[in-house]
Order: sequence, then C-alpha cells, then structure tokens
Amino acid sequence: MFTKDKLLRFLLVLAVFVVADAWIYSTIRTSLRADAASNRSASLGLLAKSAPENPDLREDWLMSVSETLPGGAAVYLVPAEDDPEVYERFATDEEALALWQSLESSEDAVKGLESAYYFENYASPVKATLSNTPVRLFYAPITDDSQGELLGIAVFMAPETADPGIERLLGIFAVGAFILFAALSGISRFSRDSTVGYAVLTLAGLGIVFIIFPLFEAFRLSFTDGARFSLATWAGALSGAHLKALWGSIRLGMWTATTSTIVGFLFAFVIYRTTARGKKFLSAIAQLPVISPPFSLTLSIILLAGNNGLITKQLLGLDNFSIYGLGGLVLVQTIGMFPIAYLTLAGVLQGLDATLEEAALDMNASRWQVFRSVTLPLAVPGILSAWLLVFTNSLADFANPLLLAGNYRVLSVEAYIQVTGRNDLGGGAALSLLLLLPTLTAFFIQRNWVSKRSYVTVTGKPNLKLVEIASPPVKAAMTVGVWLIVAFTLSLYGTIVAGCFVKNWGIDYSFTLANIGEALSRGKDAIRSTLTLAAVATPIAGIIAMASAMIFVRKSFVGKKALEAVMMMPFAVPGTLLGIAYILAFNKAPILIVGTGAIIVINYIVRELPVGIEGGVASLRQIDPSIEEAARDLGADEGMVFRSIVLPLVRPAFISSMSYTFVRSMTAVSAVIFLISARWYHMTVLIYNFSENIRFGLASVLATTLIIIVMSAFGLMRLLVRDTGAFDKTISR
Amino acid sequence: MAKEPVAVTVDRVTRIYKNVKGRADVVAVNEASFVVSPGELVTLLGPSGCGKTTTLRMIAGFDLPTKGAIRIGGEDVSSLPPNKRDTATVFQSYGLFPHMNVAENVAYGLRIRKVSKAETEERVKRALALTGLSDLADRSPGRLSGGQQQRVALSRSLVVEPGVLLLDEPLSNLDALLREQMRVEIRRIQKSLGITAVYVTHDRVEAMSLSDRVIVMKDGRIRQVGSPSAIYEQPDSVFVAGFVGKVAFFPVDVQGVDDGSCACAIRGKTVRAGSHAPAVAVGKPAVLMARPESLRLGPPEQGVVDGTVRQNVYLGSSVESFVTTEYGELLVQIDDPAGKRVAAEGERVSVSFNEDRVRVLPAAAE
Repeated sequence: MFTKDKLLRFLLVLAVFVVADAWIYSTIRTSLRADAASNRSASLGLLAKSAPENPDLREDWLMSVSETLPGGAAVYLVPAEDDPEVYERFATDEEALALWQSLESSEDAVKGLESAYYFENYASPVKATLSNTPVRLFYAPITDDSQGELLGIAVFMAPETADPGIERLLGIFAVGAFILFAALSGISRFSRDSTVGYAVLTLAGLGIVFIIFPLFEAFRLSFTDGARFSLATWAGALSGAHLKALWGSIRLGMWTATTSTIVGFLFAFVIYRTTARGKKFLSAIAQLPVISPPFSLTLSIILLAGNNGLITKQLLGLDNFSIYGLGGLVLVQTIGMFPIAYLTLAGVLQGLDATLEEAALDMNASRWQVFRSVTLPLAVPGILSAWLLVFTNSLADFANPLLLAGNYRVLSVEAYIQVTGRNDLGGGAALSLLLLLPTLTAFFIQRNWVSKRSYVTVTGKPNLKLVEIASPPVKAAMTVGVWLIVAFTLSLYGTIVAGCFVKNWGIDYSFTLANIGEALSRGKDAIRSTLTLAAVATPIAGIIAMASAMIFVRKSFVGKKALEAVMMMPFAVPGTLLGIAYILAFNKAPILIVGTGAIIVINYIVRELPVGIEGGVASLRQIDPSIEEAARDLGADEGMVFRSIVLPLVRPAFISSMSYTFVRSMTAVSAVIFLISARWYHMTVLIYNFSENIRFGLASVLATTLIIIVMSAFGLMRLLVRDTGAFDKTISR
Repeated sequence: MAKEPVAVTVDRVTRIYKNVKGRADVVAVNEASFVVSPGELVTLLGPSGCGKTTTLRMIAGFDLPTKGAIRIGGEDVSSLPPNKRDTATVFQSYGLFPHMNVAENVAYGLRIRKVSKAETEERVKRALALTGLSDLADRSPGRLSGGQQQRVALSRSLVVEPGVLLLDEPLSNLDALLREQMRVEIRRIQKSLGITAVYVTHDRVEAMSLSDRVIVMKDGRIRQVGSPSAIYEQPDSVFVAGFVGKVAFFPVDVQGVDDGSCACAIRGKTVRAGSHAPAVAVGKPAVLMARPESLRLGPPEQGVVDGTVRQNVYLGSSVESFVTTEYGELLVQIDDPAGKRVAAEGERVSVSFNEDRVRVLPAAAE
C-alpha cells in the first residue's frame, strides 16, 4: 500500500541506485574511452613512423593521413637547421595549417613539441575544432629508420573517436538496469504479494522484448533505407507483382475458406445431426490433418498428381495436366484446414438446442423448411466464424504454396523469396506486413463481431435426443460424401507411407528399404534438434500459459487489457512475419541470438502461448475462486496456490496446451524456416529440401516419422487427460 | 485446539470501489467501526449489498480497506495478505479442493505450516471427529452431501487453530432442516473452542440464534450493534425493526419523552409507549412499532384502530391473523390459540397493543 513514508524511502533507494548506476556507467565509459585513446596513440605513433624521409614524398604522406583519419589531418614540422626551436610547416590541408598557426605558440603546443623532440608521443588534452569537427592534437616524432635522429614532428589533428555502438549499448544497459531495479523494488515494496507483481513483470517483459520489439523492428525496417526514413521499400512492396501476390493470397484464402467451410459443415452435420454410423471414427479422421506435418499432404498430392504423378501420369497418361497452382492449393488447403471449420461448427451444432428444431417440426414445418428456417440461421454466426478462421489460416499458410504454388503467387512465399533469394530483409518485412492487413481484418471481425453473435445456448443440459431433419436420401448422399472425403484423406496418408518404400517415385516403383536408412541417417541431427527444441519449449510454454491464465482471470492490475492483447497478438500474426521480425530484431546487440536454439524455442513459446492461455482461461473460469481463496486463507502464498491448487485443477488445459505446443513446434515451418541454422535444423525444412530435390522417398520417410512422433504425443496426452471428469462437478460454481 | 482467543478491531474502515468505465464510485463500506471481543461470536447482518461480506473479506485480507485499520489481537493487519493473517474462513461455496480427499483438504493448512506428519495426522483426526466426519476421511469432496461439505470446510478452518474464525454465509447453500442443525452445531463448536468468530448472514433467524452480538448493516453503514434481544426488542430505527422481525408501524405525535417511556398521540388518544429510540424527540416525526406478539384483537372500536380480518394462518402454537386497517395490513399473532376465540376471516375487529411492549422510533428517513 502507498504511504508517504514508503514512497519517500522508495525514491531515496532509487536515487542511491541512480547515483551508483551513473557512476558505474561513467567509469566504464571513461575506461572504454581511455582504451580507445591509448589505441589511438599507438596507431598514430605508427602512422608517424610511416612518414617518409624523402621530402618529396611528404605531400603524398600527408594526403594519405587525411584519408586514414576521416575528418582529420596532419601537419608535418621540420626543425629549422639553424634554430631547433623554429619549425618549418608542411600541410596539404589549408584549414589544418591555419589551425596549427593559431595554436603553435600555446603552452600546450610547446609542451607537445618538446615531448616529440625528446622522442615521446604526446596526446593533448586540449580540444580544438577543424572544419567543424571536434579534434584533438597528437604530437609524434618522425625519426629515421634507425630511430636515432629526429627528422621532424607530426602533429595529427584526429577527430574524437570512441565506438558509438559500444557506448550506446552501455547506455542501454545502464538505463535497462535502472528500469529493472525500479520495477522490481517497486513491486516488492508496494505490492502485498510480490509474486504476482514479478509474474506480471516477467510476462510484460516477454511481451515487449519478444513480441512488440521484433514486430516494431520489422515495421521500422520497412520504412527505412540505411538509417533514414524512406518509402522505397514500400514502393517496391506495393508494385504490381507483389500486389498480384496479395490478391493471390486473398483469392486462395476465399476459395479455401469456402470449400473448407462446406466440407466442415458436412462433417459436423453428419456427425452431430444425423444417426450415421462410425461417428467417432469420422470425428477422429476429421481432426487428423490438424496435427499432420506441413508438406506431408502436398507431398502426397505431388506423388499422386504431380508432373510424374501416379494417377496423372502413370495411370491416366496425362501430359499437360498440372496440379501446381490455385486448384491444387485449394485442394490441399481444404484437406488440411477443413478440420478448423469442422471443430468450430461441431461446437455450434452441438450447442444448438434440438428443442427448437422439434418445435418447428411440431408446427408442421417440413424437414427442409426446418433446416432452412431454423438450423441454418442459428448456425450462421458459426459458419461465418469458421470461414474467417480458415481464411486467416490459408493466408498465413506457407508450406503448401511453397511446394505447390507453381507460377501462382502468394504473399507468404513471396516474402520468403524476398528474404532468402534476394537477401532483402526490408522487402520481406514489408511483404509480410502487407499480409497482416487481411489477416488482422479477418481476425478482428471474427473476434469482436461474429463470435458475439453466437446463438449457442449453454443450458448445462446435454442434447440427449436427436431430431433427424435430414431425409433418408439426403442423409445417404451426405454420408457418402463424407466417407469419400475420408477415403481420399486416408489415401493421401497411405501415399506418404507408400512413398517410403518406393525406389524412385514416378520412374521406378520397385520396393526398397534403402530410403529409410538414408533418410534417418541424413536426418538424424535434424530429428534430434527438432525434438530437443520442441521438448524444451513445451513445459515452459505450458507453465507460462497457465500462470498467465491465472493472472488474467484472477488478478487485476494496471494495463491488464493491454498485456492480454499483446500476448494474444502472435495468434493473428502470420508466422512468416514473426520469423522475419525475429531475424531483424535479434541479429544484433543487445539480444544477439540468431543462430542459437534459444531463438527457436522462444519463437515456439511466443507463438503457441495464445492458445494455451485461452485454454487455461476457459478452464479457470469454471473454477470457483473461493477454492484459491481458501488456500490463501490457510497460509499458502501465491506460488504455493499456483502449484498446489491451480495447476492440478487446470490439469486438462495444462496438458493439452503442452501437447499443442509440442505438436505445433514439431510441425512448425513458416517462422522457423528463417531461424534455423546448421546446428539447429528442423525436420520440416529437411522434408522441404528433399522434396525440392525430388528425393520423394526420403521426404516421405521423414514425414512419416514426424507423423508418428506427433501422433504418439497426442496419444500420450489423451491418456493423461482421461479420467479427470471425477472432480469436474465440484470445481464449477 | 486451545489457543488464547484474540480480539478483532475494525476501526473506521471504508471501502470504495473506484468507478469502472464511467460508473460512479461505489462505497461498499462506509466508516464501519466495531470490536469483536475475544471468544465472542458476532454476526454481520444485513440485506445483500449492505457491505457485510466486504467487511468480512477485509478482515480475512481478500480485500483492502480504502481507509481505516483492521487489527487482530492488537496487531494492525490492514495491509497483510490473507496468508499472513491469523484468520480462517468458511466460504459460502465451501471452496473445497476437489483434487484432494477430505483428510487432505483438512490437512492442507497444516502442510503449509510445515507441521510434522504425526501431529498433522493427530490434529486432522481430532478436527474430523469434532465435526462428525471421521468415517469420511478418504472420500473425495465431490461425493459428499452439502452438509458434509460444509463440515469439511469448517474442520479445515478449525484445524489450523486460527485466532479468528470467519464464516461467510456458510449455511446459505443448505436446505432448511440441515441449516437449523448446522446452526446449532457451529455455535456448539465455537463455544467449546472459545474461538473468536465473525459470521456473515442475511438470515435474521440465523443471526439471532447464533450470536453473542449482532451488527446490522445497510448501504455500507452500521445501523445498530447489540445482543439479539436488544436488536429485536429495542431497535433504534425503522429499518432495523423491520429487518430483524415482523413488525407493525403506527405514525404518532411525540408529546413527551422521559428516560424510559414516551408519551405520544395516536388518532387523538394518548398512549405511553414502554420505550423509545434515543433519537426520538418532541416535534420530530415518529412512529410506534409493535411486534405481532404484542398486538391484540378486540371488538370493533375498542382498540387503536379498526380493521377487517383478511386471512388467518394456523401455525399450531399460534395463529397469524392478517388485518386490513388504514395503516395497511397488520399482522397479529395469537399465541396458544387452542380454546381461544379467533376472529373469523372477514370479521370487523379492532387492533390494540400492550403499551409496555411497544417502542417509539424516529420515522424512517431513508
């Protein structure tokens, strides 16, 4: 609590810290400068040694000095033969000569000349100005080769030097230390339970450093050219070809969103609104593509329908058919993304009160009328929501277009090419920022408008009875459609598995096991590092997500809304942008982590936190706050409450957030492709490389391995979360 | 569980909730002051939104006073977090840990306090025995009835031997019969342990039957503090009189006030009421309050006011007679009705009262 007394003491401590901080800062700076000065002395001394004996070469030497010391100059003094106290002056720079003439009789100059006369260097402490540049004078003897005889004296006018980069860094650290100290001591002094304060501070730090800062850097770089403000990058980004790519992304997004929503609705309807058989199986298959690694579906489409595809070439003998382009992309994205639509719509159809349909039937409406006038209108917000979610995902998709776009241009790939192909980071940043525009628009419409118009009624009573509003022929048609899609999806996975055992797809279909050995030996480092990085990121992301959820649900503090918005941001930001932003922000001091595993782990955590936090928040909202209050009341501090009460209670959310992070990290590509290094490689990128080099066998083996790993992780999670229904009853209020 | 009981002092405590999104500030508790003596059970009674729960939460440390101080056993705890206060709360919704069984729930506070394993076991056993839960130690709270959950919550709070026991509407989730049982039990345990307790409820019967003293609150302010009988028989305001029991009011002109009684005119007749609130004075608007048990029915024009019996409710030990008069509907309680003549519904009657048992209050301003 704030009291005058406490505030005064706090300010006093801060003042003491400021003094100490400033003292340390200036000490280090002084010693840095002294270091730089002595370096300069040494180098200027050497420069003097390079002065020629031959008078004819003096001018050349003086010119070269001016080049070596940008903004500086030198005067070459030769003692007159009759009077050693009088010097003849030589200079190429008029202003240097004038400066010297104005100084030469000063006490300091006399001292300098005297030192040089006795073969000693002298760095003058006096500042002077040479053509508006602050300089210092430096006196060095010019000797003959034997260093026995004084030929002359060099007076250098060298601009002040100190490495501005290092000094700025030092400044950042000094100010950063102060802010950190002020924040930490402020929290421990003024808050009743400092744990929460520290947690909020850590989270805010995480958000600022690893979300806001990189995005800001990407934004800044897209507006600068060198060090100046410039619109050149944006002019390039908004040129015809790139705008075409933007339109390409949007067009692809709209197509995929539409087809995915239709397929998703079909699945959801068959599973939740009819009495079809095998619902559990259908539901499982419908969720399979969510966890399947990038490139895997594309890979199998290429195997089946590519230029040398099994179906197109070998079976049908088509020559001018091309799967590359919009059509192939829509197909592959639909298979990959209809689960998003399905999961959204499943929730909606499950939540719709069947009594409403019954009531309509009761009023003698036909089944079609019921569907058209009751079921469909009630599901409209859900349908819109699903459409927008798929749209966002399609726009951010990078892996599928990378392999399958052909001549069709989409923005995410364009940005990648800009960065890796043309080495134009600024351009890449601008392009991925451009991608943010439709993505964010869709995201905010979905978040703030559509999701609030939901008709889903939470009655607490599950819909036990089901009203069949599909007539038998319609139902049969839909069921057949669903099963056809299932069969197609499964055949895609079958193709990948088959690809593992085929010698040379498209040419030689003979059976082989050689692919497995080669892929695993060439990919073992990538597999190891992919697993390691995901395994490190998983528990950290899980704990941070749950702690954040607890803070967001249970605590109130200044700036909570803003912090929530920042932590949720990566959900709407395409991976390509985040990847580019990371290399821009973290390839320089003070946070130089490009090329390390840390940057990849941090990227995983930041990208997957939003989903984990949402899960934790939803789970905590179900829990009576008096349970935590009781623990606190019995003497547990915040940390203990979190460990012994909150974490066990949100265990299902905790585990599913971890498994989600793990799976997403194992299958990451859009951001990670920018961040990998030789030491820390990623399996998905290797799959891509193999596919690009038409080593489909190897790519298939790695994709299959990845699918196996991911499925095992999911299975493990299922096992862990099962049987938690026991206390669900008592934790809800 | 024998520990020196401590006193709780609430010293001019105010709690203001700052305006959120343009809404006005809410003064939840306004300059509340009271002292709970060691070993005493004091009830905060009032309608919802009166600030009683906020006051309790400030004593527990879940909420902080905007102004004022809270002292427990002489120590100012106003800014201490709940885990540093010597209080234990029984929550309205119990707040049992669903992932622990009954014994683990009760042992939680001891675990936090790093009490040895043997002692923990011993104390948990005793606490469960005290509340009659010995057989249920291994059950999960989800498989207990509401009353049993209530007892677990109580044991969990008592086992840590808190200086102050806080109870936040602990019985409101129980059915009527169980509520009566638990009321008696809580009082028995509290008395046997001699523990200081603050009890929050909106149920006047609960407050009356449990407490050493009752604090009646309204709109964040304390209206009256006193023993249950004082609050019932000698309320100081129309609000308190009405909140703690059924009552009839008659507007009167105060003619004279002395130490005990109060002379006043009602419908031209002078009556001498047995007592009056301190704020009553000649010339100020006042009302006369009468509890149903001090009202009588008689033949028309022989009482204070005439009326018609609208309905009789037979309750066994008494009959409640609702009489429509020009002062509104009056409730008259006729005790031991057997053998008495009870006016039939629709009959004209007069209502009169026992002058010694009625009290004059300042007319309601609020």
